[in-house]
Amino acid sequence: MGLKDCHNFSDFRKLAKRKLPSPIFHYIDGAADDEVTYKRNTEAFNEVDLVPNVLRGVEQVDLSTTIFGKKLDLPFYCSPTALQRLFHYQGERAVGKAAQKFNTMFGVSSLATVSVEEISSMIDTPKLFQFYYHKDKGLNNAIVERVKAAKFDVMALTVDTITGGNRERDLRTGFTSPPKLTLSSLISFAIKPMWGINYVTRGKFELPHLQDHVKEGTSTATSVGNYFSTMLDQSMNWKDAENLCSKWGGHFALKGVMSVEDAKRAVDIGCTGIMVSNHGGRQLDGARSPFDQLAEIVDAVGDKVDVICEGGIQRGTHMLKALSMGAKACAGGRLYLYALAAAGQEGVERALNQYRVELERDMKLMGCTKISDLSRKNLRFRK
Amino acid sequence: MSLKDCYNFDDFRKLAKRNLPAPIFHYIDGGSDDEATLKRNTEAFSKCDLVPSILTSVGEPDMTTEVFGEKIKMPLFLSPTAMQRLYHYDGDKASARAAEKFGTFYSMSTMATTSIEEISNVSGGPKMFQLYIHKDKGLTDNLIDRCKRSGFKAMCLTVDTVVAGNRERDHRWGFTTPPKLTLKSLLSFATHPMWSINYLTHEKFQLANVSHFTKKGSSIAKGVMEYINEQYDPKMNWQDAEYCIKRWGGPFAIKGVMSVEDAKRAVEIGASAIMLSNHGGRQLDGSRSPFDQLPAIAEAVGGKLEIILDGGVRRGTHVLKALSLGATACSFGKGYLFALGAGGQKGVEALLQRMHDEIRRDMILLGCKTIKDLKKTNIAYR
Repeated sequence: MGLKDCHNFSDFRKLAKRKLPSPIFHYIDGAADDEVTYKRNTEAFNEVDLVPNVLRGVEQVDLSTTIFGKKLDLPFYCSPTALQRLFHYQGERAVGKAAQKFNTMFGVSSLATVSVEEISSMIDTPKLFQFYYHKDKGLNNAIVERVKAAKFDVMALTVDTITGGNRERDLRTGFTSPPKLTLSSLISFAIKPMWGINYVTRGKFELPHLQDHVKEGTSTATSVGNYFSTMLDQSMNWKDAENLCSKWGGHFALKGVMSVEDAKRAVDIGCTGIMVSNHGGRQLDGARSPFDQLAEIVDAVGDKVDVICEGGIQRGTHMLKALSMGAKACAGGRLYLYALAAAGQEGVERALNQYRVELERDMKLMGCTKISDLSRKNLRFRK
Repeated sequence: MSLKDCYNFDDFRKLAKRNLPAPIFHYIDGGSDDEATLKRNTEAFSKCDLVPSILTSVGEPDMTTEVFGEKIKMPLFLSPTAMQRLYHYDGDKASARAAEKFGTFYSMSTMATTSIEEISNVSGGPKMFQLYIHKDKGLTDNLIDRCKRSGFKAMCLTVDTVVAGNRERDHRWGFTTPPKLTLKSLLSFATHPMWSINYLTHEKFQLANVSHFTKKGSSIAKGVMEYINEQYDPKMNWQDAEYCIKRWGGPFAIKGVMSVEDAKRAVEIGASAIMLSNHGGRQLDGSRSPFDQLPAIAEAVGGKLEIILDGGVRRGTHVLKALSLGATACSFGKGYLFALGAGGQKGVEALLQRMHDEIRRDMILLGCKTIKDLKKTNIAYR
């Protein structure tokens, strides 16, 4: 199986599974507890049907959309995800360059393995920085300044990782950052020698935004769940978010808002966007899926902030449904991570292109030529 | 396993799977993307139940109904489907003769492998022609005029294929027309020698209606999806549809209407029918199933034009449910294509016999004497 056999999300997933040592694959693939929310995130899209309009003359389709004041060529972007150089030695460099090629936004995690300075010198397309609010206030301040200096366009504060989700696959495989060899993981690393060779020879593993302040994650191996639980500030509240928002002074979003009440409050503290997200089902299992919750959120704040639907998206039609419901854009992590693991930058480009092609085709089949043509009139819920 | 073991859709499908090389079987069997709509099309029928009336002295039920100005003997007919000679060397001839025998419509696709003229010579039954608007407008006029001369009764314009659906099974199997041997498909053709011998020893494969206009599909191995994207006109609009209706001047259906708004517009431009269809789940995955959408459509345009329910029909009870909710008739594609693959004309006849018997038996069990007796009151939603 090669990259050219990858026609959809599950093909990329299969290829990634072949390439990655199993603890790393399962870190991407897994979610919290029984993974009920993880499954629901995608299934939710199947409870509503598209109703197309015909004979509209649909030769040219414009997929561009504007979020956070930036015009993107595509109505979807790459969500920030941690530790990308564990998935492919090119890591954030691959995803950033691929995103630039398609003129869409690239989200960079606090737990990124390439620095904001390097990314900023590498790509000139819209960039979002994802912020984890640490106990160490010096660390928080330093990051804000660096991201400002690197001229990022958007800051997104993640609010759904106040403590680590119960990712049982990581407990079983012993996944840590940096990877640590245990008796049970030894074999899985040994049978994927290419991954091991690349990991050892392609530059030292780093968390450039954190390692000057904390040793966990780089010189001390830790699981991601444990990192959240021990390093992040559990007393974080609305005041802290508001302060961060004004300290940043640019486009600011809360990532992981699910309730209408919180969405309204995000508007009050000066946010210009929110990501409706449950962290890809990796935190609170049993939490509502973003798509199920989307209509309420859009009705409450859709005219005041950019509402992004994030979670479970695997198809162009899923995006079409979210956009019809009123999301300004869609985002996803696994959406491109399997492709990254499968083939680096080339893989991510192939994945982004497939979603673009799917969306363009689906728009034509819906009888729509621009994103603003999509509305709830296109949707019917099953009774 | 043989035709006499085929009692239902699944049996015919199984037999077709044995007879056909894998790329060809999967071309019939597959849908687009995750095939969610393909599955839903049939599942939708299970979301409501039939409620029979008893002691209605049914006797022998009358299954005739009128569609496209023709009386047909059962309220189910053959949807247009492409390239039937891939499934059996008799192709459209087999389907047309079988439909004639059961007194119902046979439909011919623009992408048929037998010509309009040839079919009108072998079958005197009611025939519909399915039109794709190509970028080459001369081809559209040519097809309409030839159908008129050849005594076709009705015409439909397909509007849900402005771009090809994402049929991933075809990507994987390398399905092209005419069939091209790839390393992966070679084994599959080799293990179905009867199909291969028949394919090679019967007349040359061609898209008989369009081959004089385009070299594509006959001399070059092209994926169907590529053909659609290159040849069909994505600018197609309501004026084009109206033009076809006028030029044809007879019973005319728009095939692939799903929204209430579009159904009303079809009435306005003078269509005599719509085919409520999502192309058998082969185009926009995630789109609503025809049966789910039927009540809203029937409420908006019922009585103003004929509503054909096309998609997911596998059982007599499916037909009865659709007619109860306001459809004039049903049509199906996959069902008879598997039967064609399973046994040519005999296969299609065996299937139509099964469907005929099912509809008849189910009408009796429902307590309905005529098609008109099928009403909303026969249906209860869960």
